[in-house]
Amino acid sequence: MNATNDFPFLLGLAAFLFSIGALGVLIRRNPIVVFMCIELMLNAVNIVFVSYGRYLNSEEGQVFAFMVIVVAAAEVVVGLALITQVFRLGRELDVDDLDEMSK
Amino acid sequence: MTVIIWVAGALAALSALGVVFSRQPLYSALSLVMTIGALSVIFLVLNAQFLFVVQLIVYAGAVMVLFVFIIALLSPGAEDRVRVDSRFVIGAVVALGITVAMVVAARNGITFNNSNVFRAQQIGQASDPYHAFSFDQSDLGLVNTAGNVQTVGGQLFTTFLLPFEITSLLLLVAAVGAVYLTRRTRSGDPPERRERALARKPEPALEEDRIEVEIG
Repeated sequence: MNATNDFPFLLGLAAFLFSIGALGVLIRRNPIVVFMCIELMLNAVNIVFVSYGRYLNSEEGQVFAFMVIVVAAAEVVVGLALITQVFRLGRELDVDDLDEMSK
Repeated sequence: MTVIIWVAGALAALSALGVVFSRQPLYSALSLVMTIGALSVIFLVLNAQFLFVVQLIVYAGAVMVLFVFIIALLSPGAEDRVRVDSRFVIGAVVALGITVAMVVAARNGITFNNSNVFRAQQIGQASDPYHAFSFDQSDLGLVNTAGNVQTVGGQLFTTFLLPFEITSLLLLVAAVGAVYLTRRTRSGDPPERRERALARKPEPALEEDRIEVEIG
């Protein structure tokens, strides 16, 4: 079975997932959901890495996708720690509400 | 396998919409688990067995459990339904622009790399020890001759040794940072910090209590 037909589909899927993630980051106000949308965008990048690596017959795409997963895990840990700190200050969980630095 | 990729891709796209447009954060988290599962199936079909397992263990296992745990801890309420206001319009325009830019870039990439897409077929067919798990045998590259885990691991520990070590440093910093950020000092939070937080925003629970007292 020739798998070249899947390649444009995978790139389109990655573009769609990345755009949906960007849309979620821009329109949602709950920081937890914003973080999930960032995960969505990172996963879209992973699809591109793996499918390019597959069709160029190179394993380096998988290595970089692995790096992206590690960075995403570290980012989630720090980000959720920040969210809990914001919550502990008695604040509402709303990204529009956190604008002290611009005042 | 084209059909599996299409079904998994459609599932991933649908549940990605669920992540963005669910009102409850918990539903968003569950949709994200579904997206991650569908993407891991795509990785498996693309002969990335190591990433398939890593995706399931790290994302669906560790990261999503952390998300659900934080949601249960903070119990954020449901947001309002997504309204079509200026914010939504700006977000949609930006997302559409990103989509168009990526599609254009991807099309250029396909035409640019058209000559060496199936380089491995010219080199020759490789035997795959993971025969049972790889769906697509006809154009499997030489890269997975020794097995996917061995190949990726070999690259990680030879060519990409320095980035790999830096990654371990990053994980260490993230762990220390998370512990530092979420620590609770013995006397609680510094008082001036707490006063500032209270002065900035009156607690809604107090207002409700006051109303009840007035009614009573």
